[in-house]
Amino acid sequence: MIKIENLSKRYDTGVISVEALKNINLIVNEKEFVSIMGPSGSGKSTLMNILGCLDRPTEGLYELDGQSVQGMSDDELAVVRNKKIGFIFQSFNLIPRINALKNVELPMIYAGIPASQRREIAIKALQKVGLEERMHHKPNELSGGQKQRVAIARSLVNSPSLIFADEPTGNLDTKSGNEVMGIFQQLNAEGVTIIMVTHELDIALHTKRMIVCRDGEIIEDKPVENQIIIKKQEVIL
Amino acid sequence: MNLLESIKVSLGAIFANKMRSLLTMLGIIIGISSVITIVALGDSSQKVIDEQFEVFGSGLAYFSINWRENYTIKDLLTSEDIDVLKSTFSKETEAIIPSIYERGKVKSKSQKIDVGIYGGDEDYNKIEKVDMIEGRYLSDEDVKGKRQVCIIDKEMALEVFGRSNVLGESFDMEIWDGQVSFVIIGIYEKPKTTLQAMGGQTLGNVFIPYTTLERITGSGDLYSEVEMSIGKETDIDSFTQKMIHLIEKRHGNEGENKYMVQTAEAELESINEVTGVITLVIGAIAAISLLVGGIGVMNIMFVSVTERTREIGIRKAIGAKRKDILLQFLVESVIISGIGGIIGTIVGLTLSFVVSTIIKIPPSFSVETIVIAWLFSAGVGIFFGIYPANKASKLDPIEALRYE
Repeated sequence: MIKIENLSKRYDTGVISVEALKNINLIVNEKEFVSIMGPSGSGKSTLMNILGCLDRPTEGLYELDGQSVQGMSDDELAVVRNKKIGFIFQSFNLIPRINALKNVELPMIYAGIPASQRREIAIKALQKVGLEERMHHKPNELSGGQKQRVAIARSLVNSPSLIFADEPTGNLDTKSGNEVMGIFQQLNAEGVTIIMVTHELDIALHTKRMIVCRDGEIIEDKPVENQIIIKKQEVIL
Repeated sequence: MNLLESIKVSLGAIFANKMRSLLTMLGIIIGISSVITIVALGDSSQKVIDEQFEVFGSGLAYFSINWRENYTIKDLLTSEDIDVLKSTFSKETEAIIPSIYERGKVKSKSQKIDVGIYGGDEDYNKIEKVDMIEGRYLSDEDVKGKRQVCIIDKEMALEVFGRSNVLGESFDMEIWDGQVSFVIIGIYEKPKTTLQAMGGQTLGNVFIPYTTLERITGSGDLYSEVEMSIGKETDIDSFTQKMIHLIEKRHGNEGENKYMVQTAEAELESINEVTGVITLVIGAIAAISLLVGGIGVMNIMFVSVTERTREIGIRKAIGAKRKDILLQFLVESVIISGIGGIIGTIVGLTLSFVVSTIIKIPPSFSVETIVIAWLFSAGVGIFFGIYPANKASKLDPIEALRYE
């Protein structure tokens, strides 16, 4: 699913050149649930941005679903993000002006799905995260956990093969965080590949594979032995 | 993302900032409404001028001594010249007559009123158009016999006699300090033109045989100016050239530039030119306000882009292409200026209608102006929206997402 070879990323600020990623090699297979850990400045966010097709590597190979990504134009990358990738951010990144339902519909607008169908799919996605009753609420009328669940619903609507979550529990209390992790485990069980950036070990322990970055390099890559499983009844709220 | 979605999103953004959007529109509203008002008022006054010329005859022309050159008595036109002109150009003209005009006074019940006395002949009605309501117009016999007969308008009859059935009655006119008695042979209705309706009460005009007027003033046989009415099919330029050539030949002053012809048409053209320039200049000033309005739109679009940087980042992250973002902001700016344009058009039309009513000219509005004004305002939206929209579309998604 994801294949990275000798991937580097340099930032040239004119005065100094910072090497954020150095010769990374990584393979992620379908249906994996991976966490990327590391302190700030370790390059984990840069890696995430490149994997999420928001940024391009300076050097190296990146294949997503057998498709080479590094030669693509901005618009081609936008299509890849739209069709294949779902994003979940620490700060939710919902559009404040519009209600939950419209936020969830957004990726489908750019995919060119007709309005009636959009609504149907969006409602289903909101049901999946247990929020269909709050779909007409605007983001500022929702709690943090609810916002993140709207964001998860939004990431699901174009049935992506891959979900990227950047510190998804960073702004949530433990209970909401657990809910989110429960939903992730459920989605993963349904066959969605999830890659999650976090710096909290107990959050990473919910995943199946742990990758640790430091100074732009992967220093550890191992399966999670005592994975914390959140039971289904804990998820449904 | 299709256009309809962009419009929905834009309307949402516009309504989310009602006050700001309205104030931005205000610039466009003022610009468009002033352009519309000025163009409409320009059109109206044009109509008034055209109407005026229609009444006075568009084929009217004056053949005269060229006042800018020195001339001697032998350059002046004679009665024979006029007879020759009449017989030579009987096809091209409807009437040719020496231009003779005097001011006189008539005693009414209460005061002395000023009148204009026109020397005419049986064809003079084709030059100074009047509508006879009673009696007859001047005849060939009146002219030949230098009779003391006249035609007056109804208002003057009412003013002098207190009634309008005054055919056959006589009254005195003071011309050059002498009192002359005239018999009224006809009464006409003054043509109602907008200019008169606007308040200029023109003095009463009396028509008498020109021969009679010459006799009274002691002038005659030498004329500096001839009036004529040119037929509709006549080519005015070549006709006036022929006419000048003929008179020059008779007076032996070829090529000395002693004569000139002024036509109503040329006058209308020069007036139109002046009003056209005035409309253009004021219109240009109004267009500047539209420009300022456009800059306002651009400014607010920049604010909108900056404010929604994060939103742009989100949209890009979930799959918006450059053109999606470009279209969204462009549509927003076109909607703002488009709505401003519509409101401005309505305000402008109302304003021009009110002003026309106050200054008593017929209101005028052309669909053309409205369409152009609206397209222009939408164009302003595109022109001033493209730069901010382009800036938005070029934002890097990572940086935009990081924006606080």
